[in-house]
Amino acid sequence: MLRFLAFRLARAALTIAMVVTFAFIVLRMSGDPAQIIMGADAPPEAVDAFRTAWGLDRPLWEQYFHYFGAILSGDLGRSMRDGRDAIVLVAERIPATLALTIPALLIKVGIGVPAGIYAALHRNSLADRIVMVIAVAGFTVPSFVLGLILVLVFAVQLGWLPSGGQESWRHAILPIITLGVGGAAVLARFTRSAMLEVLGQPFIRTASAKGVPWRMVVTNHALPNAAIPTVTIIGFMVGSLIAGAVVVESVFSWPGVGRLLVVAVSNRDLAVVQCILLLVACTMVVANLVVDLLYGLLDPRLRSAPRQATA
Amino acid sequence: MVALSRRTALASAAGLSLPRLAIAQADQRPTITVAVQEITTSNMLEMLAEQSNVGTRIFRNFVEPLVDTDWVGDMSLKPGLATGWSRISDSVVEFRLRQGVRFHNGDPFTAEEVAFSFSADRMWGNGPLGKNPPAGAAQIARRSFPGFERMEVVDSHTVRLVNRTPDLTLEGQMARTASVIANRRAFAGAATWQDWARRPVGTGPYKVTEFNPDRILVLDAFDEHWAGRPPIRRLRFVEIPEVASRVNALLSGEVDFACDIPPDQIATIERNPRFEVAGGVINNTRIIVFDKTHAVLGNPLVRRALTHSIDRQAIIDALWGGRVSVPRGLSWDFYADMHVAENEVPRFDLAEARRLLREAGYRGEPIPYRCLNNYYTNQTATAQILVEGWRAAGLNVQLQMLENWSQITARSPTRAIRDWSQTASLPDPVAQMVPNWGRNGATWNNGEWRNEEFVDLGDTLQTSVDRAARRAAWARMLRIVEHEDPGYTALHRNGNFTAKRRDIRWRAAQSFVMDFRGENWGA
Repeated sequence: MLRFLAFRLARAALTIAMVVTFAFIVLRMSGDPAQIIMGADAPPEAVDAFRTAWGLDRPLWEQYFHYFGAILSGDLGRSMRDGRDAIVLVAERIPATLALTIPALLIKVGIGVPAGIYAALHRNSLADRIVMVIAVAGFTVPSFVLGLILVLVFAVQLGWLPSGGQESWRHAILPIITLGVGGAAVLARFTRSAMLEVLGQPFIRTASAKGVPWRMVVTNHALPNAAIPTVTIIGFMVGSLIAGAVVVESVFSWPGVGRLLVVAVSNRDLAVVQCILLLVACTMVVANLVVDLLYGLLDPRLRSAPRQATA
Repeated sequence: MVALSRRTALASAAGLSLPRLAIAQADQRPTITVAVQEITTSNMLEMLAEQSNVGTRIFRNFVEPLVDTDWVGDMSLKPGLATGWSRISDSVVEFRLRQGVRFHNGDPFTAEEVAFSFSADRMWGNGPLGKNPPAGAAQIARRSFPGFERMEVVDSHTVRLVNRTPDLTLEGQMARTASVIANRRAFAGAATWQDWARRPVGTGPYKVTEFNPDRILVLDAFDEHWAGRPPIRRLRFVEIPEVASRVNALLSGEVDFACDIPPDQIATIERNPRFEVAGGVINNTRIIVFDKTHAVLGNPLVRRALTHSIDRQAIIDALWGGRVSVPRGLSWDFYADMHVAENEVPRFDLAEARRLLREAGYRGEPIPYRCLNNYYTNQTATAQILVEGWRAAGLNVQLQMLENWSQITARSPTRAIRDWSQTASLPDPVAQMVPNWGRNGATWNNGEWRNEEFVDLGDTLQTSVDRAARRAAWARMLRIVEHEDPGYTALHRNGNFTAKRRDIRWRAAQSFVMDFRGENWGA
């Protein structure tokens, strides 16, 4: 187990280092932050002064090692736009994003998983077809389209809910639904497929033939075996909690990490973008690590062969 | 025992109730919410750091310059925090300051505050308070006030602006956004220049109550304002980046104004009788810029052919619903006697364009056109119309969609044509032309366009005090840069449209400025 954990942690560290390096290189190759932040009309001497102040006039390799060293010492840099610490700017936005993504995750899991199980257990019934039609519609309609439709109906036409902003709990309803619907649809499809596959296995027939009540067959035999692909998807959704609402936050003017990322990327506010990407990478890596550990809990066979299970 | 007569009792009751009545009256003023694309680009409210169109929209509500501009009227200069001014010499102007003005923190407005506003601490850097402006702000100050030497305090309500060189535009410089007056005590109390810039203390009709960058700016009425109580109790600018979301917020009644409305949305909004769209032409002109160092565009005949194969009116009719106009180049009516009314943009004449291309020996070599995706309203559609017009003339212009300004202006053999706009911030061409096209100006420094005669004339425009000579120089400059050796060609005046509740009587300015003073509310 210790070897398994050490291997996973080393791989996680390597992944994070690669994300940091990739972000550093791509951001610097896709435009001069000084020109972008100072604007098209800024005097050249102002742009030069900006470059000097932020060390952008130094060789790239020097900037990279300086940046990497700073990260290791816990310094994630300052925003080039207003001089504040990048980590402070990002931390200020995290609660707003989690206020959307956590309830949305609960909707995804709370609706998607039961709907998928129900559809699988009633395969080819009217209920199955209705669930699947809704699921296909849910994950094929882009979130910005769904968001605008919800705003048109519930804010503009009916006037029941606000169209955007973050002033009360009512402002969160439409973005949470927009985020939740797509994820619930994905989970419903995956859960149904996994359940159907398991329900067709010989051990299910054996359990039924032995006279085990169908409810117990489903809960004790089918569900645990069908859980692995579903847990994988849920793990991915948990990993996206921090920056998984970029489009929805833009549509609903919700001041979360996603909006900050969009603004920071368009302004090439390097420290802020890098800080968000680092945070996302860490979240994703931790979520994957937890999922790997859950595999072992769900399927005892995987505990004895951890290397193969993670390959 | 105190005898209480009926008269005394009534008087006492009235006396107790009057303040409450006054509060009730104050509360009757509305809270107004304005949906904007972006509140500021710098995350700061200090105009030295915020030289953007979006920053221009908000500043006049909380800070004020010595010399104001009639933004809603004819764009002329008018008294602001200075009630009058007079020339002492060609390089010195004396300003008489308004009496009885107070800052939002209660401090009186005096000559010392004006001197501080133009001090090293706030503006130039390396001042005694040790709060240096961020990179770039000092350079913007130097460009805004190119010959500034000092601001002299004559007495408590008189200052003198002393310039190093003669300059006829000194009064106009005091109307720039960067020359708004800042409070010395509040600046000294802030931990850093940036902290000050996030919560500036000025003299405007509204004071900054809350500023949450990328989210909301809340301004509350400053009832001690020298022009009287402002008409709005609370003014909220909320950031809604998407156009569709801004329009939805307006239609659902959550906001009272929605800014930056594309012309194709105007009819949709006005179909609802509760709303209308205000605005029109502003003091900004859309242009396209030519790079003289490009292998093909080095020949002025090719550039002239490009200017003749643009159907400007078709662009205006198709994309702007006829709501903007073809300009007289970069000369403006409000330049008064400096306006060159006889200047016209090159006429749309495909035959002339083809003739020029034949004369130039053009053989269809590709000409790249770098374009951002709708940084300017209708930018992409305009670029597509331009490319088709050029194709009709026989020009092989290839549109390249890029992501940011750095990529647009990057020097390379593929830099040939790009988009830009020009703002006329003062009623004199010098403020617009010299920093952008003159010696050491933007296009000079990035190597796109240089013309020795033009920059010499620009020096005359900058330093001469002979108005006739300045006007002649300006007319010749327009001839060179727009016709003979084109550095740019003007497409159309830009427009700015603001959707709003129809029952609110408010006029849009001829700029991005939004004016919520009493004189522009309910008028």
